[in-house]
Amino acid sequence: MPSRRRTLLKVIILGDSGVGKTSLMNQYVNRKFSNQYKATIGADFLTKEVQFEDRLFTLQIWDTAGQERFQSLGVAFYRGADCCVLVYDVNVMKSFENLNNWREEFLIQASPSDPENFPFVVLGNKVDVDGGNSRVVSEKKARAWCASKGNIPYFETSAKEGINVEDAFQCIAKDALKSGDDEEIYLPDTIDVASSSQQRSTGCEC
Amino acid sequence: MHETELNDLSDDADYAASLQQGSASMTRSDSSRRSSSSEPDGAEVVYLKDNVTIHPTQYASERISGRLKLIKQGASLFITWIPYKGQSSNAKLSERDKNLYTIRAVPFTEIRSIRRHTPTLGWQYIIVVLSSGLAFPPLYFYNGGVREFLATIKQHIFLVRSAEDANVFVVNDFQDPLQRTLSSLELPRAVPVANGRSSSLSASESPTDKNQVRADGVAVDGSLSSIQNNGRQRQKMHDPARDLSIHVLEKFSLVTRFARETTSQLFRENHSEGFGGNERRNHSQSSHDYHQNAASIDVEKVPDEVPVAPDPLEKSPCSNRGEEAATNVGTFELIDSKEIDKLTVWGKPRQPPLGPEEWATFLDSEGRVTDEKALRKRIFYGGVENNLRKEVWTFLLGYHAHDSTYAEREYLVLIKKSEYETIKNQWQSITQDQAKRFTKFRERRGLIEKDVVRTDRSLSFYEGDDNPNVNLLRDILLTYSFYNFDLGYCQGMSDLLSPILFIMKDESESFWCFVSLMERLGPNFNRDQNGMHSQLFALSKLVELLDVPLHNYFKQNDCLNYFFCFRWILIQFKREFEYERTLRLWEVLWTHHLSEHLHLYVCVAILKRYRRKIMGEQMDFDTLLKFINELSGQIDLDAILKDAEALCICAGEHGAASIPPGTPPSLPLDTGLLYAQQDDEVL
Repeated sequence: MPSRRRTLLKVIILGDSGVGKTSLMNQYVNRKFSNQYKATIGADFLTKEVQFEDRLFTLQIWDTAGQERFQSLGVAFYRGADCCVLVYDVNVMKSFENLNNWREEFLIQASPSDPENFPFVVLGNKVDVDGGNSRVVSEKKARAWCASKGNIPYFETSAKEGINVEDAFQCIAKDALKSGDDEEIYLPDTIDVASSSQQRSTGCEC
Repeated sequence: MHETELNDLSDDADYAASLQQGSASMTRSDSSRRSSSSEPDGAEVVYLKDNVTIHPTQYASERISGRLKLIKQGASLFITWIPYKGQSSNAKLSERDKNLYTIRAVPFTEIRSIRRHTPTLGWQYIIVVLSSGLAFPPLYFYNGGVREFLATIKQHIFLVRSAEDANVFVVNDFQDPLQRTLSSLELPRAVPVANGRSSSLSASESPTDKNQVRADGVAVDGSLSSIQNNGRQRQKMHDPARDLSIHVLEKFSLVTRFARETTSQLFRENHSEGFGGNERRNHSQSSHDYHQNAASIDVEKVPDEVPVAPDPLEKSPCSNRGEEAATNVGTFELIDSKEIDKLTVWGKPRQPPLGPEEWATFLDSEGRVTDEKALRKRIFYGGVENNLRKEVWTFLLGYHAHDSTYAEREYLVLIKKSEYETIKNQWQSITQDQAKRFTKFRERRGLIEKDVVRTDRSLSFYEGDDNPNVNLLRDILLTYSFYNFDLGYCQGMSDLLSPILFIMKDESESFWCFVSLMERLGPNFNRDQNGMHSQLFALSKLVELLDVPLHNYFKQNDCLNYFFCFRWILIQFKREFEYERTLRLWEVLWTHHLSEHLHLYVCVAILKRYRRKIMGEQMDFDTLLKFINELSGQIDLDAILKDAEALCICAGEHGAASIPPGTPPSLPLDTGLLYAQQDDEVL
């Protein structure tokens, strides 16, 4: 009988202001999109129950303010993260160029025990805008960057249309679980389950 | 300047004096002296600087000077700052005030970063930020020496300049995995030192002793709170490395003592008016509960609800008339519960908003406000009717002077309008072609455009496509970012501007009112977030002063950084109330009646309203943040304002002294113009 105990997986969403962090989180958790989200001040999170092979997990998804000026807050929010999601807007070059800053800032502030292997997932959001005509970051370019950073899984999403959001978060949850696998602090009783069966076998492009 | 002392700090006259200060109520000082005298290891003073000063208030007469030291013991480096004894001529500056700010041997393992400020004019100062997110008030180096200070630290521990900001030096920031490992290996060695077991620097003993003192210090309500005792059990199991520095705790315990004295004074002064809430029967009851709960916590089966210590400042029914309750606070007469209901404990009842007829009575024939103080007080208790806001807000925000006449104001409006147009023209004249080579401008404009279209769009004033008012928000914010190019635009500003434009309707007047507001709230948006840090620090001090059990609860649950109040403070509760209620709150805050920092007392008041829930449900940081975010739209403003008023009065000058100088919305400090200081590169 597999354990029904719930385990918390903590995920942090980072990226420039206005790339769609709040929208992605709400699309995934509530399957809703609104044009009326306010700029996030401070931080907030939503939770969603996810199930892997008879085990229930609580995915705790943290949404943070995107302006770089608020990064000093990160130290309080990033701690204990199991996975970090880096979001950019495929229509805004700067938001892509900043991914590296977000990644490094996260590693500094969260100081995970094994920064080399800490799981990141990159999402190129807003692929729906203008039928893709206003796009300035090509998928190829994004994938090349992800590859150079230790094969970070990459998804092209639209929070508005709900494109790829579910798949992306499936991957995020699995990576978070795998990360928890290494850190006995967070999954004291359940380490064995994930190790063999939770390899990135279903849909993670990595 | 390097000098070696083999002695421990108990031989330091200043330190001994400050210990003596606390010894009457703190058993810990005795034990610390014992432990230090038996301590074989020597401590070495590797840096010493005199005339390092803090500015608790804006008044030069209330500055506190002291001696800053870096002390090396074993592999650990400590920072201390001890104020001089009896140097002040100011009677208001008691020894207690000095103790509040004393930094006693904080190990660098507890320090996250040091920010240095080396203005070309005025004194250099540093801000020490702890790992918990708390920051000490700025330490001004009257004799210079910041560079030497940082260089000395660098000789002993790992200190790197932040990649983000050349003035921030990050401690223990090991990006190199090897260094990181080494650092983590050092922790077990460093922690016992911090705990005082092997340290002559420490004024505390083992965790048990520490808790003994904490229990002593918490007795504002006359009972050992169950939370406190639960905490005692849990703390033993805590990884010591996760605990805040005990030296910081010791500092807090001094504030605890203030709280006790303040409260006891209140009790003495007001017990006939209802300030006597000590219940002896509760005491034994909660002690009993605690034993049970403590046991269950030991096996990690946390009950859904735990008994919560009564609020020291709360009205609580007492049964035994005339009986005296002997507590650590002092002796109080217990009051009959029937009487208590008749007594007013909290703030005065709110009044209806200021209307046109009454407003006219505040003006002389030429339109001058004759009694500014009375006007502010009146608005504090009732706010302003909506149709008067456009006129009255210009005074509250400081756009118009109270002693200006109708004619003078009319003239000023015209002048300012053309001034606004001039600044606006600066960015409007940037051609598209020019903008291509002006990345900073494009980025700034992009950020503003992203935010104005998501600011209060559900309000009819801002709703719909191509709403001209949304364009006005954009134009004003972009113009402001040229008016104050250094500050630029930061998220949250659109939230602050929106109600102003909604009331003023006029572009230029909105701009200038916003400029006035930003003179006070600008530091909220600084790149280094120092305005926010000082407010969160002050808030932690106020909660400690006004609700010791709640403070202890936050401490035990790693919530002392108060980041869960970040949104409240950054945009002045804009997201917490309905629009109309926000307008009311803001005009009350802007009166600065009682305190410039009433917003911090509002924070305390809200936290106290929900203290029972927060502690009873044993919320951790995450749960608390979520809970606070979800309070949005559910807070009763009038009730909270009454509480905040009462808390502000309760806290009195101790409250004011808990708030570092220059904390927004105070106007920025006049940093003095003693001498120019070159910004030497240090590291």
